[in-house]
Amino acid sequence: MRGLTKEYVLQRFLMYLLTIWLGSTLIFIIPRLAPGDPITVMITRVSLDSGYVENADQIIAAWKARFGLDDSLWVQYARYWGNVFRLDFGFSLAHFPTKAWTMVRPALPWSLGLLSLATALSFLVGVTVGALMGWRRTPRWLQLILPSSLTFTAIPYFMFGIVLIYVVAFKLDWLPATGAYSRSVNPGWNWPFIQNVASHAILPVVSIVLTSMGGWALGMRGLMISVNNEDYFLLAQVKGLSPTRIFFRYGVRNAILPALTALALGLGGLISGSILVEFIFAYPGTGYTLYQSIIAQDYTVTQAIANLIIIVTATSVFLLDLLYPLIDPRITYKRNAP
Amino acid sequence: MTVGQRTNGSGQAQGQPLPTDLASARAWRLNTWDTPWLNSKFLLGSGIVLSVLLFGLLGPVFWDTDLAYTGAAPLNKPPVWAEGGLPEHPLGTESNGRDMLAQLILATPSSLKVGFLAAIIGMAVGMALGSVAGYLGGWWDHIIRTISDSAITIPALVVLVVIASFVQMTDTTAMAFILALFAWPGPTRLVRSQTLTLRERSYVRMAHLSGASAVEIMFVEMLPNMLPWLAASLTGGISGAILGATGLEVLGLGPTRVPSLGLIINQATTNAALVRGLTWWWLPPIIILMVIFVGFFLMTIGLDEIANPRIRRFGASGHDSTPATERKKRTGARREKQRRSLTSDLPQEERAAVEAADAGRRSSAQDNAALAVRDLHVHYFTPRGAIIAANSVTLSVRKGEILGLVGESGCGKTTVAMAILQVVQPPGRIVQGEIRIQDRDLVGLSAKELRQVHWRELALVPQGAMNSLNPVTSIREQMADAILAHERVGRIELERRILTLLHDVGLPDRVIGMYPHELSGGMKQRVCIAMSIALNPQVIIADEPTSALDVVVQRVVAQTLLEVKERLGVSMVMISHDMGLQAQLVDRIAVMYAGNLVEVAPVESAYARPRHPYTQLLIESIPSIRERKPLNATEGLTHDLRNPPPGCIFQYRCKFVEQKCRDSRPSLVEIDQDHFVACWLYEPDAHTNIDIEHA
Repeated sequence: MRGLTKEYVLQRFLMYLLTIWLGSTLIFIIPRLAPGDPITVMITRVSLDSGYVENADQIIAAWKARFGLDDSLWVQYARYWGNVFRLDFGFSLAHFPTKAWTMVRPALPWSLGLLSLATALSFLVGVTVGALMGWRRTPRWLQLILPSSLTFTAIPYFMFGIVLIYVVAFKLDWLPATGAYSRSVNPGWNWPFIQNVASHAILPVVSIVLTSMGGWALGMRGLMISVNNEDYFLLAQVKGLSPTRIFFRYGVRNAILPALTALALGLGGLISGSILVEFIFAYPGTGYTLYQSIIAQDYTVTQAIANLIIIVTATSVFLLDLLYPLIDPRITYKRNAP
Repeated sequence: MTVGQRTNGSGQAQGQPLPTDLASARAWRLNTWDTPWLNSKFLLGSGIVLSVLLFGLLGPVFWDTDLAYTGAAPLNKPPVWAEGGLPEHPLGTESNGRDMLAQLILATPSSLKVGFLAAIIGMAVGMALGSVAGYLGGWWDHIIRTISDSAITIPALVVLVVIASFVQMTDTTAMAFILALFAWPGPTRLVRSQTLTLRERSYVRMAHLSGASAVEIMFVEMLPNMLPWLAASLTGGISGAILGATGLEVLGLGPTRVPSLGLIINQATTNAALVRGLTWWWLPPIIILMVIFVGFFLMTIGLDEIANPRIRRFGASGHDSTPATERKKRTGARREKQRRSLTSDLPQEERAAVEAADAGRRSSAQDNAALAVRDLHVHYFTPRGAIIAANSVTLSVRKGEILGLVGESGCGKTTVAMAILQVVQPPGRIVQGEIRIQDRDLVGLSAKELRQVHWRELALVPQGAMNSLNPVTSIREQMADAILAHERVGRIELERRILTLLHDVGLPDRVIGMYPHELSGGMKQRVCIAMSIALNPQVIIADEPTSALDVVVQRVVAQTLLEVKERLGVSMVMISHDMGLQAQLVDRIAVMYAGNLVEVAPVESAYARPRHPYTQLLIESIPSIRERKPLNATEGLTHDLRNPPPGCIFQYRCKFVEQKCRDSRPSLVEIDQDHFVACWLYEPDAHTNIDIEHA
């Protein structure tokens, strides 16, 4: 456990808590800073949608009392924090007897599966492409082909997703367009189901991977170019090492460290983008559930999911941070993103 | 044996790159423009973004945008070119009876506006916070950095979605302010790190010492230098903000009364436009957005290249040296061609002389030289012409001797070392020359053959051992690397050998498991020496092995090198600008000035009777305790290396310069036992009786 000092872990843990605190507080405070409280806004919206709601004022008052919105902001805030810690956000507004958490839980594995696969793939592919682009010995034909793989980088995930659905699912009919699995298969550990899940996951994963790998590739290219100019890179050449060994042990091994930091910093953006991908593909993950809860004006579920996503993101960043000193013998306290 | 330098009789344009290379220099210039803002990607990107903006701004002049609201048009009409399209609705209509063209004209600028506004707010906040953090440091820095580092990892869209579901966003300005909540951490981090870097630059320190205020320093000294970075961050921020805004709109959480590209997509998807085949509804906003994003993406990477010249240089020169084997073939063939063309340009009798000298050298180089460099030319191809870093350098290292290569910084010593090792970095290239070890010309070798020669026959003790060791692997691994690349050795044997090598340079056993950052500068340098002798090479190139070390450690390292040489009988090229060190270590000394050898002599002779005026200056500059003399600085500057003068290379700084020196360049001539000098003062027929000692 070289490099993993108590001080470092503690520092990272504080950052972890700070991130969760910042995100959750933003979610809590901004709706309350806006004119009107969430309940009033929601009831007003409902009344606007359905023309008129009888005794709206009483409903608002009753709901406010039930959700404790009459208390002072500080009391609400304290209670909110208690909820975040226990991951208990009370009952769903839209489906009353159900707990908010119960609504969220089934979405979690779908999102985690889709996202970890997509993230890992996009990072691996991106870093490989970038490393090859930043290496002088990469064969010329590869040097010419690789930059074209960055074309997709500029396109946001969800737009690419829409185009993919239209072309691959509707026009060519190669893969299913939406959902995580077909109604015709039995969920469980059986082969047809796994196959079905995989075929549903291809399009969302592809749209995330293709559109996000370019970012890693560009970063990695810059890092590799810097490493190319380092003295140890030159010495490795003069030592007569094979090009592949120089590439991996001296090039990638050094350039990957800041790239991992960039991964930690970019994870939030990736998860943000995946909400839209889930929405486009109607993939039953947390992002899609979040969207549905907003449409259904299910205030507690919305809060629960948002907090959950923030916590999961922060946890992944924290884990990456813990991994970092294990592969970098120099203890690093700063995050040096490229 | 003659160590000769080709006389350049009539001052044939020395500064011009040789014909074949002029072409490549031109090609290079096309890729890297002199004015960095004229970056092609940046220009293309700005052009794209501008034309999209113009479409939105000028659209209302040519088209009735009210059609975006009225809903009076016939429903679901395809574009005019499709069957059933109507000329009054060229891009078709959607299911609410609204004209697509009018909608797109209105939506485009509003999407751009949100992006610009949010990114500019974010940038302003980021610049304020970042410069405070970077400039004041301390607690300010700590707090700002921690918060921005945390904020950057929060999944922005999640928070935005929650906020948007409660806060009714009536117009784009409100949305821009909410988006700006997530647009500041990036610029903050950037400005902070840039401020930290720039603060240490000497011109900023000077401004500080001369009493400039913090604000003045920030805006006058630092900001202009950050500009490309800030611009890249701004364009990235704009497209990020547009992405966020569009995301919210696609989810139906943006302002619903103002048309926006995301809103059109939202309406199209909720009305099942994909399934119903209403392509003209959902596709055009996506195409416009893609064009916008591609535009900003091109601007961002263009600005990145402007800010980071390394990337630009790599892009321009990276391909050239890529296929190593091909490169070898090319240089080999070109070398032949050039030698022929060079000699054929000369008058008949001179050509004969050169060819005779050629033949003479070839035989003499083999007598007992461990390493022979012959007529080496290395040029660096910059956009403004080729820099001649080594010009017709010819030298040899005899078996078991240390040859010192001295000269001021930038004179080409290290270039010669890199050329011997065949690792000249682009844009530099060996234009011509031969480097022989045991009758094998390294210049012509393939990459694979070269790998076998490297380290086994030719090793390097690098300049600045500080950065020459891979920071992330242990000493054991790095030494094993060198051995295993050339020999098959078992684990235990390998360990034993590494330990022996470390002992040889006076390092304790525990160093084997340590990492470079755990070692002192002197220890690192000794690790490098141990590594260099791992395979008992014929020749070791020591490139400024002691320059970054303090005096005591210098001595230890120099001693180590000497011991190693004595014990192994290895030949060495010792590159250094430290004349004192050279005097103690080397057997012969070669003095280099502006890419040319000016004097090559046994060390005793060189120090006792230096002949070349430049060598004399170098030796005079060695401080002595016994006598305090005023430091005799060499006056004048080196000429422009791209365009050396005809005649003697040292003429601008030489005290004894006369007309002959301006007209033609002297060659290295043996004027004493094994003592060569390139100076007209010593051309036997012209200046035999000038006594340099009194000069």
